[in-house]
Amino acid sequence: MDADGLNDALGLSNDKSQNLGAYIYQPPKHRKSAGERPSKRRKVSSTADKDERPDRQHFVPLLNGDENAKSVQLRYDAYQELWSKQEHKIQVSQANSWVVIVINYSPGLKNILEDVDAGVLTDVLSFVRDTSPQTCDGCIPTALVTVGSNVSSLSRLLSRLNGQLISAGEGSVVVLESGDAPNLKTTLKNIIRATVTNTDGNDGYQRFLTDRAGPRLLGYDLDLLHDYVQRKGTKKLVLALRDSEAFDPGLLTDLLSLFKSWLDRIPFTVLLGISTSVELFEGRLPRSCVALLQGKHFEVQEAGNCVDRIYETLQTDPDTNLWLGRNVTSTLFENTSDYFQSPEAFSRMVKYAYMSHFFANPLAVLLANPDSTVLAQNKFCEAIRNLPSFRMFCEDLVEEGSINQVRDMLEVDEYLIQEAPKYLDANQQRMQNMFQAVRVVHTCLQYTQSSKKTNVSDLSIRALSGELSESTIVEEMVATTKTLDSDKLDGLLLRLREIIMGPEAGAIQEDLRTLLGTCVNSGPLRSGYNINSTVTKTTVVQQRILLSKGQADLSEPAVEYTNIVDRLVALLQVHLTETLINPQDLFLHEIFLFDLRNPLKETFAPRPRFAIERALSTPFDYLLSSSDVTMTKVSAKQPATAILYQLYLDSGALVNVHDLWQAFYGVFETEEAGGCDDRVVMSLFYGALSELKAFGVIKNSRKKTDHLAKSAWMGL
Amino acid sequence: MKRKLSDAGDQPPVSTPKRRRTALEQSNGALNSHAPNGALPNGDASYELPPPGQGQSTPKKANGVSATPLQQSGLKTPTHKSKARGLFATPTKPKSATAATPSRVKNADRSARKKSARVLFEQDEDAAWDGSERLAEEILHGDEPDTEKAGQPLAESIEPEDAEEAPEKGAKQPKRRAGRPKGARNKRSPTPEGELPAHERYFFQNRAGPVKTSNATLNKVPLLTHEEYFEKLGQYEDPCKEEKEYLQSLHHRSFPQWAFEFDEGFNICLFGYGSKRKLMDEFAEWIYNHRLSVTTTPIIVMVNGYTPGISIRSIFATIVTAVMGDDAPSKLGAQPTEVLELLQSALKSHEEPVTVLINSIDAPPLRRAANQALLARLAATPRIRLLVTADTPNFPVMWDISLRDQLNFVFHDCTTFLPFSAEADVVEEVNTLLGRKGRRVGGKDGVGFVLKSLPENARNLYRLLLTELITLLDDGHQSDDEGEAEGGGKAGDETGIEFRLLYQKATEEFVASSEMMFRTLLKEFHDHQMITSRMDASGMEILGVPLSRDEMEGVLEDLVLG
Repeated sequence: MDADGLNDALGLSNDKSQNLGAYIYQPPKHRKSAGERPSKRRKVSSTADKDERPDRQHFVPLLNGDENAKSVQLRYDAYQELWSKQEHKIQVSQANSWVVIVINYSPGLKNILEDVDAGVLTDVLSFVRDTSPQTCDGCIPTALVTVGSNVSSLSRLLSRLNGQLISAGEGSVVVLESGDAPNLKTTLKNIIRATVTNTDGNDGYQRFLTDRAGPRLLGYDLDLLHDYVQRKGTKKLVLALRDSEAFDPGLLTDLLSLFKSWLDRIPFTVLLGISTSVELFEGRLPRSCVALLQGKHFEVQEAGNCVDRIYETLQTDPDTNLWLGRNVTSTLFENTSDYFQSPEAFSRMVKYAYMSHFFANPLAVLLANPDSTVLAQNKFCEAIRNLPSFRMFCEDLVEEGSINQVRDMLEVDEYLIQEAPKYLDANQQRMQNMFQAVRVVHTCLQYTQSSKKTNVSDLSIRALSGELSESTIVEEMVATTKTLDSDKLDGLLLRLREIIMGPEAGAIQEDLRTLLGTCVNSGPLRSGYNINSTVTKTTVVQQRILLSKGQADLSEPAVEYTNIVDRLVALLQVHLTETLINPQDLFLHEIFLFDLRNPLKETFAPRPRFAIERALSTPFDYLLSSSDVTMTKVSAKQPATAILYQLYLDSGALVNVHDLWQAFYGVFETEEAGGCDDRVVMSLFYGALSELKAFGVIKNSRKKTDHLAKSAWMGL
Repeated sequence: MKRKLSDAGDQPPVSTPKRRRTALEQSNGALNSHAPNGALPNGDASYELPPPGQGQSTPKKANGVSATPLQQSGLKTPTHKSKARGLFATPTKPKSATAATPSRVKNADRSARKKSARVLFEQDEDAAWDGSERLAEEILHGDEPDTEKAGQPLAESIEPEDAEEAPEKGAKQPKRRAGRPKGARNKRSPTPEGELPAHERYFFQNRAGPVKTSNATLNKVPLLTHEEYFEKLGQYEDPCKEEKEYLQSLHHRSFPQWAFEFDEGFNICLFGYGSKRKLMDEFAEWIYNHRLSVTTTPIIVMVNGYTPGISIRSIFATIVTAVMGDDAPSKLGAQPTEVLELLQSALKSHEEPVTVLINSIDAPPLRRAANQALLARLAATPRIRLLVTADTPNFPVMWDISLRDQLNFVFHDCTTFLPFSAEADVVEEVNTLLGRKGRRVGGKDGVGFVLKSLPENARNLYRLLLTELITLLDDGHQSDDEGEAEGGGKAGDETGIEFRLLYQKATEEFVASSEMMFRTLLKEFHDHQMITSRMDASGMEILGVPLSRDEMEGVLEDLVLG
């Protein structure tokens, strides 16, 4: 075998790039075998060039490659447009909610929402401004910010703080991570450099180092920082340790005591980001170190709230036209709670869901409102006709007796192309209504539910699976609404009018207002369903106690009020049953509802160990065998590592290498009757063994000679 | 456990005639190197003590030594190559053996003292775990008539006062003890019957108790050298070649998707079994060919994380040079963070995205937390597109939530089944795994290779050294037995020539004129680990060669001929 062939067999390329640590990629000079692929590619790129589009084609043509270029481009554009709209919403809602205040709000009423930036940010800012070593008895002013799992919120907070301080010319924020602080010298150097580059940039730092009078100072000399502070007139230098717990306590002590001694010259303020609790953090530091600090504790709220908020904005906004289905929603929230994902990560997952939809679903082009010429490709109609929802729709039509329409839809492409967008629009409208209904329920719940708060995402999951209208939540809600007194009901109606724009709601409120106007001084009215207006009568009949409930005599306004409540409840019930439909029943729901669990789950919460174990234990799951024999037991046809792994699985906690080798060899010997070269098998054995070692499933055991210890068990 | 078994095999001569022995027991007895306990009188004080020692209280040590004979018989199994899967199971003994022993041993066990001693071993979890109790009971019931017949007269004659109790308790216990080795041995197979859930399997394979593996070693099997490994691997024809290529082509189809993910600001992490280096190369080529315009070349930086000694700084420096080209400052700074900041400021004025492809981000050189944190910061830099591959099963534990946040990965399963040929030094890895590190230089070939590149003088010195060593070996070890072949490497290690002596010889041969020069030559050998040096008891420096006798001769031959 020649050298080339050997290298090919081993998967080694002939150039030496594989041994380089890092290098700039240069395309290979095309050799023999590589010649075929580029030419194929050139064809694709040349068609793209003909269109003379400025940007390259991001999407691949679907429908077996027959999708026309226009439609591909439309899908991409639709994605861009839709996502940029949604992203904007997310940013708005994030900016408003990263420190969430728990007040009852309706997303439509932005004016109720305070600018919650003012929350922690103002607190921290005023703390930084107002405290000085003098106010802290000569200690270092310290802000302790507990972030819990909401790690990313701290960096947002810090960057805003930095921006505010710089723009006000008061100082700046230097963010330090535990990775920047291997030892005191490097830490100081990093602090100084970060401080200078923060305002003056990298070049500024170089100039700052060189353009000094007097002897050149070393990079970690705090005199440099002192110099800088004097030059800039910095009043506050905030040093933020983002992951304080990860710092070496000894280093932290040294650093803080150093700061303390420079405090008269450099106005330090320390900001500590803490993910556990202040007590735990304090416990790790020596008391002498804690004594140097004096400060205040701030709390940033959990990420969950922000995530709910983002989700609500995305799904219930009236101009949304692509929704996330139940499976996707539950995956999203699972990931958020299980992996403590930040709100950013959450929105990135949502983004990925949108991306997948437009990338892989050819029908998504309908969302771009294309003209019919784009749709006029035969496979497109075929694709629509293959939808499960199309089949259901046709069955329904047949039952209704519109057989002709069904025939047209099945046979006439033009008709289908003309009709589909109409249905799409109508059903999108129904989805929007559904989410408005979810908001109605949510609003009502805020008035009726006292103990646990159900959030929009929970409600949405139920609504998306079509279970909300019959759920106990709604039943209870309706029941409690009946018992509300007039003050609360007034508030509720006010909110509902924002959502249910119907004249009926307005009329109800008008009536309520006039009613309330007539009896101003009698306090809140109660309806006949209220517990206070039912009277329990206790009568003793034949030595038995009979309890009978009876309506207490209601005053006239109360009766009238009960009427109003009845009207409202009826309105609510009608509204909810009308709008809370099962989205899976809607025709074309595959287009406006993205509900595939899988790309999202596997892409963001991978199971690499499972993948490797599966590949090794059942290699033919991956290697689609051309021969149709499904081999379940070990055979020489499998890759060597897989064979060894399966033998390994059968062995005990301690494995004799010699016996393992014999067994491995045995697998090959039995299959190849003609006899196989045991040295070849040995080399395979070597390869497999080294791979298992690299995976960390075996290690050398000192218990016996030539034994291996097993260190991983499949499936655990 | 083994001891007990052999006991079981050895005792019978006392109570039962030879005919009851089965073939296997005979072989056990024959193989057993220990003095048989058979001479012990039945059921008396002198006999009582051994069981605790042999028994379950110190199973590991006792068995570690005495396991040999039985395992030897177990060793034969591997040659049944047709039953490859069952190889690690110790062989099942014929039922007759199981049935025969208890009755014999039982007699020996009947005494009050014995019982009380046994109570101490009663709490043997191992036995319970193995299900031997149940088995012993089965045996008990199965053997009842037999044991009664055999046991009764003897027990009565020896210890009449205990006769009432003995049949009940005593009869059960000896069975349990005697039966245990058999039952346990059957159960001891590392492969439990049926499909156990993963956790059960873990506990099953990890239960306490002696190690049940054979004592075979690889001494008889010649190990592979680097050269042979590559030569033989070249001869192997992969039966799954087509399937692997098909798999690769499937991954190819994802390239546009990956590019789209890059465009949307995600970084990508590929995982799954097999080397993904080839895939990365192809993706780099794909990006290169799908560039926006013909005039600009896309910036693609490849990183091989498995390269020993790779540093984060060098990665960043490469990216800086790729981005800034000739404008890159000649001095980048020693700290990786400095280089990173330079890169970040350079990227602010840079329009084109920079693609960084890192092979094996979880390879040992990059695995450290500090390195990963720096890479995460690189990943979070705008206009940097990071595609990494990870080979190990548990790589996500490298990243905590804040790193995950910065890295912003989407994960794709890219199982390729390709060998890790560039990533791992296979022979070296296996040698370390087997604890045979001494052969680092690659034995004869390695030494020969190094010598070729050394000057004449050095070669002469090495020749001198080898000649002296071989002479020493011939002189000193002529009387040694044949252990030589096996411990060849060791012999070379141990035999050494004194430093002064060698220097003297070297000056005589005009190899080195001064000690200074002599030491310089030796240092060269030392750097390539071609010689070993140690101090002997009197403080003299002794030089040796980490080669076996055969290898030494081979090298010497080459030296003389070449």
